Amino acid sequence: MAFVNWLKRNLVVIAGLVTLGYLLLPNVVVTVFSFNQPKGRFNYEWQQFSTAAWQDPCGVADMCGSLSVSLQIALWATVGATLLGTMIAFALVRYRFRARGAVNSLIFMPMAMPEVVMAASLLTLFLNMGAQLGFWTILIAHIMFCLSFVVTAVKARVMSMDPRLEQAAQDLYAGPLQTFLRVTLPIAAPGIAAGALLAFALSFDDFIITNFNAGSTVTFPMFVWGSAQRGTPVQINVIGTAMFLVAVLLVLASMVVSNRRNRQKA
Amino acid sequence: MATLTEAPPPLTPTAPEETPPRKRGRLVPYWLLLPGILWLLIFFALPMIYQASTSVQTGSLEEGYKVTWHLSTYWDALSEYYPQFLRSVLYAGSATVLCLILGYPLAYLIAFRAGRWRNLIMILVIAPFFTSFLIRTLAWKTILADGGPVVGALNTLHVLDVTSWLGMTSGDRVLATPLAVVCGLTYNFLPFMVLPLYTSLERIDVRLHEAAGDLYAKPVTTFRRVTFPLSMPGVVSGTLLTFIPAAGDYVNADLLGSTDTRMVGNVIQTQFLRILDYPTAAALSFILMAAILIMVTLYIRKSGTEDLV
Amino acid sequence: MITVTNKTDHGGDVRLTGISKTYGSFTAVHPLDLTVPQGSFFALLGASGCGKTTTLRMIAGLEEPSSGTVFLGDQEVTHLPPYKRPVNTVFQSYALFPHLDIFENVAFGLRRRGIKSVKKQVEDMLDLVQLGEQARKKPHQLSGGQQQRVAVARALINHPKVLLLDEPLGALDLKLRRQMQLELKRIQTEVGITFVHVTHDQEEAMTMADTVAVMNAGRVEQLGSPTDLYENPQTTFVANFLGTSNLIEAEVDSKTNGDIVLKAGGAGKLVLPEARCSAPTTTGGRVLVGVRPEKISLTHADEAGEIPEGRNRITGRIADSSFIGVSTQYVIDSPVCPEFEVYAQNIDRDARLVPGAEVVLHWNPAHTFGLDAAQSLLAGTVDSAGIDEQAAV
Repeated sequence: MAFVNWLKRNLVVIAGLVTLGYLLLPNVVVTVFSFNQPKGRFNYEWQQFSTAAWQDPCGVADMCGSLSVSLQIALWATVGATLLGTMIAFALVRYRFRARGAVNSLIFMPMAMPEVVMAASLLTLFLNMGAQLGFWTILIAHIMFCLSFVVTAVKARVMSMDPRLEQAAQDLYAGPLQTFLRVTLPIAAPGIAAGALLAFALSFDDFIITNFNAGSTVTFPMFVWGSAQRGTPVQINVIGTAMFLVAVLLVLASMVVSNRRNRQKA
Repeated sequence: MATLTEAPPPLTPTAPEETPPRKRGRLVPYWLLLPGILWLLIFFALPMIYQASTSVQTGSLEEGYKVTWHLSTYWDALSEYYPQFLRSVLYAGSATVLCLILGYPLAYLIAFRAGRWRNLIMILVIAPFFTSFLIRTLAWKTILADGGPVVGALNTLHVLDVTSWLGMTSGDRVLATPLAVVCGLTYNFLPFMVLPLYTSLERIDVRLHEAAGDLYAKPVTTFRRVTFPLSMPGVVSGTLLTFIPAAGDYVNADLLGSTDTRMVGNVIQTQFLRILDYPTAAALSFILMAAILIMVTLYIRKSGTEDLV
Repeated sequence: MITVTNKTDHGGDVRLTGISKTYGSFTAVHPLDLTVPQGSFFALLGASGCGKTTTLRMIAGLEEPSSGTVFLGDQEVTHLPPYKRPVNTVFQSYALFPHLDIFENVAFGLRRRGIKSVKKQVEDMLDLVQLGEQARKKPHQLSGGQQQRVAVARALINHPKVLLLDEPLGALDLKLRRQMQLELKRIQTEVGITFVHVTHDQEEAMTMADTVAVMNAGRVEQLGSPTDLYENPQTTFVANFLGTSNLIEAEVDSKTNGDIVLKAGGAGKLVLPEARCSAPTTTGGRVLVGVRPEKISLTHADEAGEIPEGRNRITGRIADSSFIGVSTQYVIDSPVCPEFEVYAQNIDRDARLVPGAEVVLHWNPAHTFGLDAAQSLLAGTVDSAGIDEQAAV
């Protein structure tokens, strides 16, 4: 009876943990299979333990090149989308102007549109304009779909900001530019950082829109897609595992640092 | 000891006829909006128009295309590919329901029961994003492999008998069946359900639970009458964020499914990138967009939540 | 401590002429003339939505007036942006910059004006508000009272001609609020800067300010020293908003050498000094007679004969009494006024004065004031404040 009661009380916890397991299972498999030594071209069945792939992560033709293309595109897309998105977010929160509703819908639409639709229509545009598909068309597309997410993230932060802080700065002899640089921007920074991080992740991992507009340029997700047809090298798993670990470690480290800083201050 | 002997700060007196400063700022929002909005207009809105025009063109790659208002492209596309459309709605709908059922307990756990583990669980929900979703989707090929432990377990529990009877699997296989595709879609979009759910659950004052308990509500009643209604904004945006991308997805159907599980995304992709039949592809894409816009509008109106952004 | 050399000039005068503010069809502030002399502690008092904060923000430059002009001393600043005005503000809930430490918060104004060596000044200012130890903490690590003092220091360090305070004590608990009232008053006396203080708390306004302007629905109802406002209210709003007043409708019966004799319902004759009546009086006309609860004495009806001659008297029955320590507050049901309030000091308490007892209320006619009868009896009471606010929204 006691067990049944315990189960009743913790049912939601158990269910939640099962879901968490479902979310993490593929990552476990990716990690385990990064130590596999597959027999054929595909790395889907466990054969035997090996660290060969970890010792030579760039040992597959073109893979690290595609990784570098992806990183470059993600970096520039982040810069572009964050800049444009932050400007829009400030305009939306801080000013009253006409066409506000139209602007809001234009921001919302890309998030409510299946990627394949955006991908196909953008390709139609590029074909009609006779644009050379490649790095630049990918970058344009990535800035386009990351923009809305940055706007949403920054908007949330700026909206929660007390307008009196900017008034206080003005009252203390800071002109509009000074107010923005010394008060508004530093306080909005966490929102902007969150938007930038989101943009980077979205851009780096994008496949569908990139696949339509890449021409002969190959990004890392496109390389993985291609290898799913031709044969999956173990190195793919090495990269996937390494990125997962780096992300978790970075987050944990930043949490430890901010915890310690808070404790010192208090 | 502060001494106030110096004169007040010299501040330039300004002639009263100078224009008030805030009038000059009238154009500021437009300058702020201009680059980003132009970007969206040129690379998001304009392509939609191009696509609409392409969908009513006829011609061929060699001779070029002309707008001929050839509306039967739509009819042909629909009559040829309606199974793929239906599949898209069915698979994406099932994945969305599964995401809600699986995601709600997890969001609830993070919001109310995780205590000091909250941050860690949050990280574990988000961290998989950093491994390319294609790599993670490929991992499901291993997990659901024929004769593997998962399929073996499902077989022993006679789950596969039920799913085959439902037409979701065939024989002893999971891979290359609708079940595998739905499973992959659910997995891929689950975080998009969990995060908005968590956001709206986290806003709920825990004292509301206590108040409901104080007013004779059992835990189940509290959930049904208080918690769930208050989390509706999260449910609505979560389902939309799951359903929309799932309906347009073709990666899961391609990697985990077979030719019998092709969704509308696969058709658009093939028409556009392999067959190069642009009018048909544009028409399909336009139908998908219209269908989703109509469904989303109806859904939002029905659930009465307007503030999604 | 602090010496002030420019106390005699008028550089710190604030002159508002015909200033008003409208938002669409809603008028927040009706055209208003106001002069705050250099070096004074001036309070704008009123319920929320009465236009007091809007008035303050127009002085600060955070709100542009719809009409009228703002002068600081001889300089017109009506259209100057806030960062060009020699005026600083202590904001409601302080608006301390969360990303800067206390030192940098206080140094902010100096740095923006291009002053390079700020260290000495900031440290002195932090000492003045007793926060020297906290210089490197962030605002959220300080208590409410400390944050409040940082906000004052951050504004004062700029030696403004006028310091504006927008409900600066609203977020503090009662005890701390009392302490900070005295503290602010001390600082103001020391630096000699003009303070304009916005508050909805009448006690706070009366404790701190030399001059109080009572605002209601975008207009100044009355302006004067706290004593003057309390003893000689000119409108029912002021009479009810500042403390409590008992108001009785009465008819002018006759006038005799400086006194007005009035008839009020079943109460017989009441006497009101003509000098204390703000309304025009003609025989047969109507006036509102007011008296403060603490001016009234209570005598049990059995001893009515012992009340000296020449006092205003009203009979009634005690409806309710509450003992609050220093005094006992009675609510009396009388034919002229259904809820007559009387505060009696607890010196010699008459055990017969319990609810249901028949009593005579009497007071010195000199404590009576007269108001125009053409206004609502309830203006400025708690009940009507809510209605006003809703109307304003």
